Amino acid sequence: MVYGEGSERVRALDRISLEIGHNEFFTLLGPSGCGKTTLLRLIAGFEQPTEGSIRLYGQPLEGLPPYRRPVNTVFQSYALFPHLSVAQNIAFGLEMLGKPRAEIAQVVREMLGLVKLVGYENRRPAQLSGGQQQRVALARALANRPKVLLLDESLSALDLKLRKEMQLELKRLHAETGITFVFVTHDQEEALTMSDRIAVMQEGRIAQVGTPTEIYDAPNSRYVADFIGETNFLKARARGGVLLLPDGSSLPTPVHTPDGEVTLAIRPERARLSADGSGISARVKDVVYKGTDTIYLLELPGQEPFQVRSQNRLGALQLVRPGDPVGLELPPEAVRVLKE
Amino acid sequence: MATPSREVTSIAGGSARRALERRDLLTRWALILPAGLVLVGLMLLPMLLMALMSWLEPGSFGGVRWGHYTPEAYIKFLFDRNLDDSLSLNTDYLSIFSRSFGLAFITMLITLLIGFPVSLYIALQTPRRRQWLIFLVTIPFWTNLLVRTYAWILLLRNGGLIESGLKQMGLLQGSLDLLYTPIAVQIGLVYAFLPFMVLPIYTSLEKLDWRLLEAAFDLYANRWKALWRVVLPLAAPGVIAGCILVFVPALGTYYIPELLGGAKSLMIGNLIQQQFGASRDWPFGAALSFALLALVLLFMLIYALRFRGKGSLL
Repeated sequence: MVYGEGSERVRALDRISLEIGHNEFFTLLGPSGCGKTTLLRLIAGFEQPTEGSIRLYGQPLEGLPPYRRPVNTVFQSYALFPHLSVAQNIAFGLEMLGKPRAEIAQVVREMLGLVKLVGYENRRPAQLSGGQQQRVALARALANRPKVLLLDESLSALDLKLRKEMQLELKRLHAETGITFVFVTHDQEEALTMSDRIAVMQEGRIAQVGTPTEIYDAPNSRYVADFIGETNFLKARARGGVLLLPDGSSLPTPVHTPDGEVTLAIRPERARLSADGSGISARVKDVVYKGTDTIYLLELPGQEPFQVRSQNRLGALQLVRPGDPVGLELPPEAVRVLKE
Repeated sequence: MATPSREVTSIAGGSARRALERRDLLTRWALILPAGLVLVGLMLLPMLLMALMSWLEPGSFGGVRWGHYTPEAYIKFLFDRNLDDSLSLNTDYLSIFSRSFGLAFITMLITLLIGFPVSLYIALQTPRRRQWLIFLVTIPFWTNLLVRTYAWILLLRNGGLIESGLKQMGLLQGSLDLLYTPIAVQIGLVYAFLPFMVLPIYTSLEKLDWRLLEAAFDLYANRWKALWRVVLPLAAPGVIAGCILVFVPALGTYYIPELLGGAKSLMIGNLIQQQFGASRDWPFGAALSFALLALVLLFMLIYALRFRGKGSLL
């Protein structure tokens, strides 16, 4: 996918190969400008690929205009028709398909029930709240029973509380309709909560595809590990099945690692402060009490700052103050070796 | 010490506020005054004078006979007075009115048919090109319409540019005979009023959220359906404004039919001019003006009732 002309040509998407399963909740995750929306627009038909092909249940989509694709979009801006009522908005697609009136009325009623907007059919979009507009946009797209529903940052305009509600609502609609959802977001938490599978994108390429658990537990690069959740990185050298840290301590390798420089990724909640000072020696820089957790910010010689998150279970409170020397314990299964 | 002094300042503040409000009010009136004077002095008073004139007897050498009231001017619009003082229907003036309405209406339709695609095309260009194209649309305003109408005589007359061009291409034998016909008037009207259709429609299309068009495509609307069901309804305020801006002035045009039309393409404007000129029947001219005004207001009223509460004109 190449954009622009002459020296301004930009390759927006590169070497993307994805297969999305029937009835899957698939999320494209990445920072703004990574190409996730472009990919969505390619599926919808608003953009045409300069190379490559997109197939829907075996049928190639290239050259088909958006109005000939059995795919519907929930736009980031909702793009509800301001001159039409809620019911007319929902009926729009079916009317364009030339469905009989009785059937349209039936589907509109069904959709209003599905998105819990019964009684709002005669309102104009301007008379609805953001959350309600979002529901109308969903109903308008779902009314056509598309083979794939595309959602473009559809929740990002909502406030936090409403967003959480709509996340659950979307999961429910996905389960009830049995339609394949392709969801675009830059919110990693949203992606983890809702998706069956996630594709993490980076500068027009796919960095990693996998279930939320796979992406979180086994990131394949520093980029993915950093983008999804919080991660500590340690520099180390692999030699003869052992990971050597610059301060002289060593860890067993969790998987076979060829010799050389590596980066270790460790989630903050999987590292522990040792009770007896054993393990990697570190110094406490700061202690942040967060209610359910306490976060210990550690300094390790020759390393980036390291965070340890520990749950405040009864009796688990450790009396550690800034400046104290502590031992850092890294269970082998908590360490992910990234080739770099 | 502190409390009383605060009271004093608050009282002073209150009266100061009242003084300010008074000055504010004065300023407001002073600002309205010039516009008010113009409206009253240059529009309301002349119109009242015309209304009065239409109910007076005409003077023998133009002007009116003050104090001699008669409804004759309004009767003359529809009837001929026979020798025995009985009235018979005269449709001459009505036919001029209906011709004017016809010409103005066709002008509106043609400018709409040309103006809408042109506006749509301009609105779909990049902002830089849009500015350029709108600038081009407004270029004719730099030259007086009278001069430009004379130019049309040169184009349309026998032996003129259009005729010789058609002959050169072998599309025409004999003479064109277009000038001094209703068609020439129609061409002149469409030419003169096209920008008044393009500009308001462009204004409403420029504000259109094109993402709605994508939404329409996404919902199985092809280009035509999207245009018909989404773009046109949302551009309706501009279309209506354009129609009014073309229809109303076209109805009252005077010198386009005067220059391009013959005796059979007289419009209301020419008829009114004649009454104040050669015919020396000022009351009849005034009555015709009011008949025109009443009809235009009637159309506007119908429009206002039809589109009540659906946004402003522009």
